Amino acid sequence: MSELVLDRLRKEYGSFVAVDDVSLHVREGELVALLGPSGCGKTTTLRMIAGFIEPTAGRITIGGRDVTWDPPYRRDTGMVFQSYALFPHMTVAQNVAFGLEMRKVPRAEAETRVRRALDLVRLGHLADRLPRQLSGGQQQRVALARALVVNPGVFLLDEPLSNLDAKLRLEVRVEIRELQKRLGLTTVFVTHDQEEALTLADRLVVLDHGVVQQVGTPEELYEAPANLFVAGFIGRSNVLRGRVVERGRFVTEAGLALAVPTDGFEPGAAALALRPERITVIPGAAGNGVSGRVALVTYLGAATEYRVTLDGGESLTASMATPRPGDPLKRVGAGDVVTLTWPAETCRLLAPDRGAPTDEGGS
Amino acid sequence: MARAAALAAARSGRRAGAFSLGPALAVPAALLVAAFLAAPLAVLFRYSLNRYSPREFMIDAVTAENYIRFFTDAYFIGVLATTVQVAAVCTAVSLLFAFPLAYLLARTDSRWKSALVIAVVFPLMVGNVVRAAGWMAVLGNDGIVNHALLGLGLVTQPVRLMYTPFAVHVGIIAVVLPYMILTLQSVIEGIGRDVEEAASNLGAGPITVFRRVLLPLSLPGVIAGSTLVFILCMNAYATPVLLGGPQFKMMAPALYDQFVRTTNWPFGAALAFILMVSTLVLTVIGTTVLSRRMHHRRLEAAPR
Amino acid sequence: MTRMTIGRRALVGAAAGLLAAPGVPRAQGGGRCVVGTWGGDYQDLLKANIDDPLMKPQGIEVLYDVAVAPPRKTKLLAERMTRRGTFDVACLSDIDMFEMAQQNLFDEPTPDLVPNMRNVIPALAKRYALPHIYSGKVILYNPAKMAKPRSYNDLWDPKLRGRVGLADGLYMQFIETAALINGGSPSNFEPAKKKLLELKALGAKVYPSNEALAAALKGEEVWATIMWLARGFMWKQAGIPVEHAVPEEGATPIVFDKAVPRNAPNKANGWKWMQAMLEPSAQAGFAARMGYVPTVRNATLPEDLAKQISFTEAEQEKFVKIDYQYIADNNAAYLDWWTREFKG
Repeated sequence: MSELVLDRLRKEYGSFVAVDDVSLHVREGELVALLGPSGCGKTTTLRMIAGFIEPTAGRITIGGRDVTWDPPYRRDTGMVFQSYALFPHMTVAQNVAFGLEMRKVPRAEAETRVRRALDLVRLGHLADRLPRQLSGGQQQRVALARALVVNPGVFLLDEPLSNLDAKLRLEVRVEIRELQKRLGLTTVFVTHDQEEALTLADRLVVLDHGVVQQVGTPEELYEAPANLFVAGFIGRSNVLRGRVVERGRFVTEAGLALAVPTDGFEPGAAALALRPERITVIPGAAGNGVSGRVALVTYLGAATEYRVTLDGGESLTASMATPRPGDPLKRVGAGDVVTLTWPAETCRLLAPDRGAPTDEGGS
Repeated sequence: MARAAALAAARSGRRAGAFSLGPALAVPAALLVAAFLAAPLAVLFRYSLNRYSPREFMIDAVTAENYIRFFTDAYFIGVLATTVQVAAVCTAVSLLFAFPLAYLLARTDSRWKSALVIAVVFPLMVGNVVRAAGWMAVLGNDGIVNHALLGLGLVTQPVRLMYTPFAVHVGIIAVVLPYMILTLQSVIEGIGRDVEEAASNLGAGPITVFRRVLLPLSLPGVIAGSTLVFILCMNAYATPVLLGGPQFKMMAPALYDQFVRTTNWPFGAALAFILMVSTLVLTVIGTTVLSRRMHHRRLEAAPR
Repeated sequence: MTRMTIGRRALVGAAAGLLAAPGVPRAQGGGRCVVGTWGGDYQDLLKANIDDPLMKPQGIEVLYDVAVAPPRKTKLLAERMTRRGTFDVACLSDIDMFEMAQQNLFDEPTPDLVPNMRNVIPALAKRYALPHIYSGKVILYNPAKMAKPRSYNDLWDPKLRGRVGLADGLYMQFIETAALINGGSPSNFEPAKKKLLELKALGAKVYPSNEALAAALKGEEVWATIMWLARGFMWKQAGIPVEHAVPEEGATPIVFDKAVPRNAPNKANGWKWMQAMLEPSAQAGFAARMGYVPTVRNATLPEDLAKQISFTEAEQEKFVKIDYQYIADNNAAYLDWWTREFKG
């Protein structure tokens, strides 16, 4: 396994910048997810790493070797395609053996390794089948085995779960994580599904319009999003736009004054991001907190969501553990007056410049 | 036939518990084929068993003499051999020329793609005769090629290109190339680009990708295209007549001679049948060998 | 011609249906006449010289079934046992027409039916058909390259090595020519073989079509050929450098004949069309455009034109008398020889 370094990698199509100076250091054995909405440049980045697209500028090194201008077949990457891209005219075993054959691995050794790889993905019994005789999940595992059997320097996964149904997706997700850990694979994983990224990755790279928005562990991204885009894309956030009026004090556009940590912010326009699960809902009017009326109650099993219209007209969504019977909260419904409170330090002030792809938000 | 189909439809309908139109749908096509293909062929075959007389035109008989004449005459065997040779060479060469172009057409994202496809199809709109006339202007002693050769001082006398087997091959390949390209293109388009990328990712260079992935997967197109083109070549008429000159004989012009110049319908019919059957047999053999080889390689490559 | 039982049924059932169906609308009696002919110039001239001025005034509508000769022959043969055929008038060259007439396909013209046939040049008259226009086989040569030939024999001159071109389709004409200068006759072409092989040894070139030969003459790849005078006239008009010479062996006529099939749907109109065709006014129109000469004695051409395309009395006297029966009987054998021995 090798480390992978992207150095100001750039791809332009005419005047359109698909990937805008992306730099990234993937450590040995680390799983990094490239995350972003469609068209954000994550797949283009992955395909440049694999060598299917030539970068306009920048450098790619794998294990210290500059591969920027190497053709795909000299890069030592193992890729799992979104469509799996199995060879339809070869059996499962022949598919898996292909990479070994290309590397001139002696036949006996190749057979052993193919068998081991198939056992690893629990498909040893289907070695002689053709891909079209397998289910989607099985094809997916063949694709994994085919990429892994050659011990690639870097393991690349392009939305590998998007063609599976929801239940299978969870299973395969766990399986991929286990394999990756067990084999210590340096892995780059492309997905548009933030939950998938959060549960799988050691670190995440959030991309938008070809630009890296933030790089960090799932926790860093969740707790300390660098901007509104990340705040909205990783988990969900309430966003209230307004101004910092003085140290420790933020006033929303509707005039609601809130105490927030303003470190690093001068008075002026800003946006406040607040996770729904940090908000506590208290039935009735209480002294401390922000009051409003419940607009909608959504039961989600373990949690219940309350959409509350504040007195100033802005909305906040709060997520509470579903109240037990007897809890006064249990009786709260649409139209009831409630008070919302939250610890001031959970509010996060962000630059107001960029909108977030979120259905939350004040204005 | 229609009644049988209707009965079959009714029976299957009863079994399935719902009326099925399936078999009935084939009836009009079957009738059409019977009327316009099978019947004339039967008539033609009957003619081939008749006897020819210059005065009486065609004498009713049941004789194999037309077939015997063909197979005992070195001249006609030679005509058939020439035909097969030309068809085989033209099929192979057009396959070789067409594949890269078809691949390009199938894989390009260019906005000129439709223009390129039209450019490939365009020659099909020009009749073979007109095209042959074009080749005459190119290959004639006074043609473009000779002008160029003479102008460049590469030759001092015009090189004879027209009325040579070379001209026939060039002419026929030009006629059949679009069919080959279009057939291959549609098959290659059905092969995901990601499959090629996967092979490349696993360490296969371009030639290996072609040999191990692209070619085997496009084999149905290769077979279909080659079959189509081989049949067209075997039956070529205008091109060999106009570009090969009077000395160059292929089967279609030879049987035309029999029908038209000597009104020898029985022998002409026999030639037509021999041409048809040899085309059929060679096509079947070729197709079988190709698919068998494909299958064979698959088994051979399987790790045991 | 009575041993065709199976063939007949098959023909009537399949061939007639298949071949006739896509043709012209079937002419119903009263006012129609279906002419099976070549297309292009020839059809235009038929319309302009015969139909518009002579048939229309009679209230007869003329329809054309346009094709080259082979399909027309096929149709005639295929329909021979049907009661109603396609054509009221069929046009064919004299050799083709004889071949068809052998099958007893046509009604014989009589002066009662076609009064104008009294004016037909006797040398061109036939029992089964009427001649429309004619020309004759001559030598075409490039006057800038060679002297005017007097005899076909002059083409066997070693000085013309590789300069004689032949059009493949006229093989029977070359065979006849070679026979005439090597002790043969219109009824014996056998001596032609040796003579033609000499011509082959002298590098004579065979072209697949008249057009290809014309191109070779124009490019001066070849200097001489044996061809119909009418075509030579048209080639000259098109700027091909040729003059014609009537050989001392005599020109061989080529005649475009017309006949009325026994099963013509509008037979009476067919005969009326024949009568119109032989009108002097109708005949002259074909000369200027196609180079063919009238077949009736009472039609005259402008003197200048006549000099280029017609044959003098003396030349007409020397016309080769074609033995159609001999040609019909031996065509297949000579084509075979031509294909293998001469071209091979």
